[in-house]
Amino acid sequence: MVVGEKSHNKKAQIKIQQTAFMLLAITVFFVLVGLFVLVFKVGSIKETATILEEDNAMLLVSRLANSPEFSCGNAFGTSKVDCIDADKIMALKESSEKYKDFWGISNIEIRKIYPTDELNIECDSFTYPNCNIIQIKSGGLVGYSVSNFVSLCRKESFEGSPYNKCELAKLIVSYESIQ
Amino acid sequence: MNLFSKMVMRKKAQEEMIGFALIIIIVAVILLVFLAVSLNKSNKEVLGVNEVDSFIQSFLSYTTDCEEDLNNYYSIQDLIIECNNYESFCLDERKTCDVLNFTLREIVDESWKISENTPIKGYELLIGAEEIELISFKAGNSTNNYKGSMQEFSSRGMSIIIDFTAYY
Repeated sequence: MVVGEKSHNKKAQIKIQQTAFMLLAITVFFVLVGLFVLVFKVGSIKETATILEEDNAMLLVSRLANSPEFSCGNAFGTSKVDCIDADKIMALKESSEKYKDFWGISNIEIRKIYPTDELNIECDSFTYPNCNIIQIKSGGLVGYSVSNFVSLCRKESFEGSPYNKCELAKLIVSYESIQ
Repeated sequence: MNLFSKMVMRKKAQEEMIGFALIIIIVAVILLVFLAVSLNKSNKEVLGVNEVDSFIQSFLSYTTDCEEDLNNYYSIQDLIIECNNYESFCLDERKTCDVLNFTLREIVDESWKISENTPIKGYELLIGAEEIELISFKAGNSTNNYKGSMQEFSSRGMSIIIDFTAYY
């Protein structure tokens, strides 16, 4: 009778042990699955943030050229799309500190494409207009960059009479990638 | 009796193992479905800017070195009109059509550089007025991956079409 009871207790203990191991295994398994999902979700949040930043940069580059700070308006005859007033940009560059957080991106530059110049000369009050890069906002170029074609227009003068001169350029917008 | 009880125990253990395996399989399938859905989402194309549209707009405004009269230079758009309607000359006696052709080739070459290090594989530009072909040139290879744009303006009642395609 005592032997029977002992064997019964042992069986019950084994059963409890078995259930405990099973519960432990299932818990560990679900914890691992949860961790996997969490890592995946965090990764996709970063990815979504990066995609949003990219979208933002793309929208910005297409709208920036036509924004009042950049656009030619009616200064060069009729109103033009994707036309940047270089003289206005040079004035904007002087007060770029005021626009530090305005666009929410790290870098804005305009690079002349045609006519080509082998030297990369940055525009400032001394080199303008014989230069080919206008750096409006300078920051790190470690992220994603988006560019768009624009016509870069300015007023020129020959023997005292003014005329319009438009060149082909690229407006480049960059932002720092999310870590 | 002892043998029967052992058999019942084994059967129960087998059932539990099968149950556990089933749970793992179900969870694995759910995970795979979740993974597939997530991967499909990440392949979504981000909203793109049509660079080609802006390129056409920008080159049309480009001021060429062809002088109409003192201190008045033709833009590419003016040259297209001049070349199409009058086949006129610049002040320095160059033909407007020649200047247009030369300048456009240089602009396109500089803007869409074809090489192994760039994503651009080729391009094609066509400027025509109704049935007349004013400018037509292509470079590189045509691929199935391309971005193109067509713009139209009219001059003296004639419609002028500019069609540019960049192949990636």
